[in-house]
Amino acid sequence: MPDMRFAPPNPLRIADRASGLNAVSVRSYNERLVLSLLLQSKDITRLEIGERTGLSAQTVSVIVRSLEQEGLIAKGEAQRGRVGPPTVPISLNPEGAYSVGISVGHRQVEVVLVDFVGSIRSHTVLPFSAAQDTNHPQFMTAIAKAIADLPRHLHSRIAGIGLALPGDEAELELTPKAARERFDALQEEVEREIGYPVYVQNDITAAAGGESMFGVAKHLSDYLFFYLGARLHSRLVLNHQIYNTTAAVSFDVGILRLEQEIRKNGNSPSELWERRADWPSFGDAEIAWQRELLEQMKSSIAALKPFVPVASVVLSSYAPQAVCKAICRELEQAMPGISAIAGNIERSPKAVGAAGLPFSSRFMVE
Amino acid sequence: MRSVLCYGDSNTHGQVPGGTPLDRYGPAERWPGVMARELGVGWHVIEEGLSGRTTVRDDPIEGAHKNGRTYLRPCLQSHAVLDLVIIMLGTNDLKARFNQPASEVAMAMGCLVYEIKELKPGPGGSVPEIMIVSPPPMLDDIKEWRSIFAGAPEKSRQLALEFEIIADSLEVHFFDAGSVVTCDPLDGFHINGQAHVSLGRALAREVEAIGWPDER
Repeated sequence: MPDMRFAPPNPLRIADRASGLNAVSVRSYNERLVLSLLLQSKDITRLEIGERTGLSAQTVSVIVRSLEQEGLIAKGEAQRGRVGPPTVPISLNPEGAYSVGISVGHRQVEVVLVDFVGSIRSHTVLPFSAAQDTNHPQFMTAIAKAIADLPRHLHSRIAGIGLALPGDEAELELTPKAARERFDALQEEVEREIGYPVYVQNDITAAAGGESMFGVAKHLSDYLFFYLGARLHSRLVLNHQIYNTTAAVSFDVGILRLEQEIRKNGNSPSELWERRADWPSFGDAEIAWQRELLEQMKSSIAALKPFVPVASVVLSSYAPQAVCKAICRELEQAMPGISAIAGNIERSPKAVGAAGLPFSSRFMVE
Repeated sequence: MRSVLCYGDSNTHGQVPGGTPLDRYGPAERWPGVMARELGVGWHVIEEGLSGRTTVRDDPIEGAHKNGRTYLRPCLQSHAVLDLVIIMLGTNDLKARFNQPASEVAMAMGCLVYEIKELKPGPGGSVPEIMIVSPPPMLDDIKEWRSIFAGAPEKSRQLALEFEIIADSLEVHFFDAGSVVTCDPLDGFHINGQAHVSLGRALAREVEAIGWPDER
């Protein structure tokens, strides 16, 4: 029996470096830990990584060197002119990995291509008629186009495709018939036709994951998440874990409700569904809707309070950020002690969250 | 005050390319000296270079004292407490008399790492930080050293990868000197004064990047 100290070393980590991301490499827990940390805070030093993970300087050094050579992280310029030795900050390399995210909503399908830090590199909105039949070439074409938007030599850095699908009963009722069956087949279909691994998640959970990963909730460990879509949805996030309930409940105080109010006043609501920077003022209709929406949010928070001390609330939506900010301000005034933050993934929070799925399954710790 | 031991061969000793072991760059010109200047106050840099030093082999011609393994323990104990040990060896192992592939030289580097880990010359009896440095690859033209180093230039180009594999599997720091310097054409395997400056600076940056908490 040879002394195992002098057995041949395992060259795996280095040997598969040049192969891009498509080779399914199993990442060590520690590598995932470092990547997760870098996703939360950019520009941290190896010393800080060691302090926050409990890993030794040598272990951090090995991991950082390996991830750097794979192009997943990048070293910054040494910071000088302070007390003590200069520090070299490390960040995720935005170009290190890419992902396609798709959300299937009740009116439209959105397809985004995001980089490793969640910046949208390409964005396509398909009206629902295009996606009614998932074999419809337009749907696949939109995904293929998102991939084609990336230069050819970067295709090996695509980590996968994330699919955010509605699971909420009321939401499903809004979608065209046989939606559930159609959605069930989507994963396999996209995987087969596009050729990248596909990860599927409930759309509201995906949106919460998006805000946690790339958005305003990066630094929050516990918060109540609201998604303002056609209806109002919520998720509870505790210790960075999003509780994904099977008994999804939504409330009819969403944008669909606002649309009804606007129609009732005899105006056209068409601008609501366009992904534009701002809404015009909808006057009394909007005031009435906002009141209802706030009441529902307040009652959700109040119902939760005996069980969980809710201090932070995140409101995510594709509605203009100014609208979300105004709602957050109202909520904070109505409920002292609550900090309400408007999500900052302005376009397609669900699709961006979906795009985060391949990253979290391949690179991050749960 | 932190202490770093630079354990190496003629290229740590500062031997002038094309010269003899007695032709040597001055203390401030050799890479450990350059590194000391770059690191500044707060660092004590110990230079320990010997021409002809191997990793773990008694040299049948130059003598058993060229064996880096047998001298490592007394050296570590002499200079303890050490915060960091930098080892740059390997070129002499490629002499034809040893008939070793690059992977075996890397295994031998691993031996030295184990020795340090066992001896624990770090603060409070801990394992110090350890950095393996792969030497710059030899040039193809090694002048009158052709027969002594028969086949070595090709193997020397494989050292960086083999050393990095060992460094990764043993979880120690690694730096490829070949990424910042090349050997001097005068003999094809020694580095010149300019290269000492570049290497000393680069290693200082590597040492800093390890990340050192404030000393109590």
